[in-house]
Amino acid sequence: MSDRKREAALKKIASGIEGFDDITMGGLPEGRTTLLMGGPGCGKTVLALQILVNGATNLGTPGIFVAFEENASRVSANGETFGWNMRELEQKGLFFVDACIRPGVVRAGAFDLTALLAGLEAKTKALGAKTIVFDAIDVLLSLLGDSMLECRELYRIHEWLARHELTGIFTTKVEDNEPATAQRYGFMPFMADCAVLLSQRLADRVTVRTIRVLKYRGSPHALNEVPFVIGAAGVEVGSSNGVHPEPQPFTERISTGIERLDEMVGGGIYRGTNVLLTGSSGAGKSMLAGQFIEAACRRRERALFISFDENSRDIARDLATVGIDLAPHLASGSLRMEAIRSEAASSEEHFMRVKRLIAEHGPRCVAIDPLSALARVGGGLAARAVAERLIYVCRNAGITVLFTSLLEGLDPQLETTTLHVSTIADSWIQISYALLDGERNRALSIIKSRGSKHSTQLRELLFDDTGISLADPYTAGGEVLMGTLRMERETAVRAETRRPLLVAAEEEEQSK
Amino acid sequence: MSEHVPAGGPANGAYVFRLYLAAGAPNSVRALANLYAICHKHFPKCHRIEVIDVLKEPLRALAEAIFVTPTVVKISPAPEQQIIGDLSEEDKVLSALGLPQNDNV
Repeated sequence: MSDRKREAALKKIASGIEGFDDITMGGLPEGRTTLLMGGPGCGKTVLALQILVNGATNLGTPGIFVAFEENASRVSANGETFGWNMRELEQKGLFFVDACIRPGVVRAGAFDLTALLAGLEAKTKALGAKTIVFDAIDVLLSLLGDSMLECRELYRIHEWLARHELTGIFTTKVEDNEPATAQRYGFMPFMADCAVLLSQRLADRVTVRTIRVLKYRGSPHALNEVPFVIGAAGVEVGSSNGVHPEPQPFTERISTGIERLDEMVGGGIYRGTNVLLTGSSGAGKSMLAGQFIEAACRRRERALFISFDENSRDIARDLATVGIDLAPHLASGSLRMEAIRSEAASSEEHFMRVKRLIAEHGPRCVAIDPLSALARVGGGLAARAVAERLIYVCRNAGITVLFTSLLEGLDPQLETTTLHVSTIADSWIQISYALLDGERNRALSIIKSRGSKHSTQLRELLFDDTGISLADPYTAGGEVLMGTLRMERETAVRAETRRPLLVAAEEEEQSK
Repeated sequence: MSEHVPAGGPANGAYVFRLYLAAGAPNSVRALANLYAICHKHFPKCHRIEVIDVLKEPLRALAEAIFVTPTVVKISPAPEQQIIGDLSEEDKVLSALGLPQNDNV
């Protein structure tokens, strides 16, 4: 008996929500109670409704949604905005109960929830419902007005669910950092078999939503808080477990668009890998990204150029000054350029957007300029996780991605990126400034290049109206020379070498 | 299934109540007794009480948005008024019905 019980405990129903099934390791406990807690506007109702909708759509399990706070028809209308076909679902197996407490109701003596449970029991039988959502159970409980009663009635619902082997989802408001509320409904997390906390907070004036599984009886679960967004198609949970880097056979090499750079990395970069391009402001990162994209277009591959905080048209215009013309590719539709404002959303929302862009356009090469913009809002940790997942998403799809990152800081010698993505980058190209004799010249070097030999030399990066090029290494006296200094030295050396050459020619003539 | 309990001749201006209860539940039994007592005392011969057992008509209760038992709905005279509980707090019931409370009678 106890063995059978344990087996039953491990049965889960998939929520059908990306990432959520990862953090719960399979979904909600079947025939048990799950509690979704969070402050106002956290997305409890949407999440609960989405689980119900997915259950009815994907698993064919009818469900009932009991709305205690919001008008049921409004909840249903909200579902429509996420593209869920509520009208059809309501005919097939989704039932809404409008249980808003009327304001004029007078309380005069003892009562209980027998009517609700009797009604739900009849409806459950009629529909064959398996899942019931009690949205804003705290509103119902506050009607009872007595903590003893609240506890008793909640247990009554809980027992009723268990008796009928129904999966229950309760949502309840919990204020962060407010022990009074937490204590008041403190018994709820104890009662529930699975408790999930949703929260939202402001990070740099942008709302960042997070979700965390507090407990899960009889099952392991992710312990950490993970970000989530409420996007155009509902809740998407950004579980780091959601995206795994799959081993890819990297054999084909593709051009970066700059011949000499290809030579430096051993004949081009491997298709499906990623390239990190770092440099300080004005170093020419966007130019190199544009060149990479243009090369992809010339190979007749679809390409996507995502820029943060810079207008696509401005970028195209800047690229045109060094002879990179993206206009025909934009016109043919093979290239898509998308500008995103970094401050407008959290890094998780950026991730979802970029992922959607990739899914829509289906590119083989992607440039993200700069990836470090992700870290502008919401801090490094979340942004780093997003950057990692973004890279893995591209890798798993066999997309070659070049992302730039701004190097800022007092000590450029440290060469670390704001996101610390350099460790997951397959190749890392650095553009630095060489300050010599009153000139600022661009110097390109390769810090790493996985799976291939690469040049260790520092090369001068040159931009002119015919394109981007790398000069031959020119060393003198143990130093790499660039710019005017190089020109001077070259002229001087030419003059010096001419003399012995003349001498040699004279000697030759004499011998004749 | 509903049960009409005429207590006195329902005339114009009669009080009509609908009581939703769970048959056999102690608070429901009390509510019925309390409602009878109030009606007899305040509107003798001009009231009607309709009793609905939510255990027998669960879908009706759900459709009529009745979630707790016992619930009394004053149908007439308008406006409709909902009172929940076993009606043991008579003063609250009377004030909800717009009647003077016991001390003043």
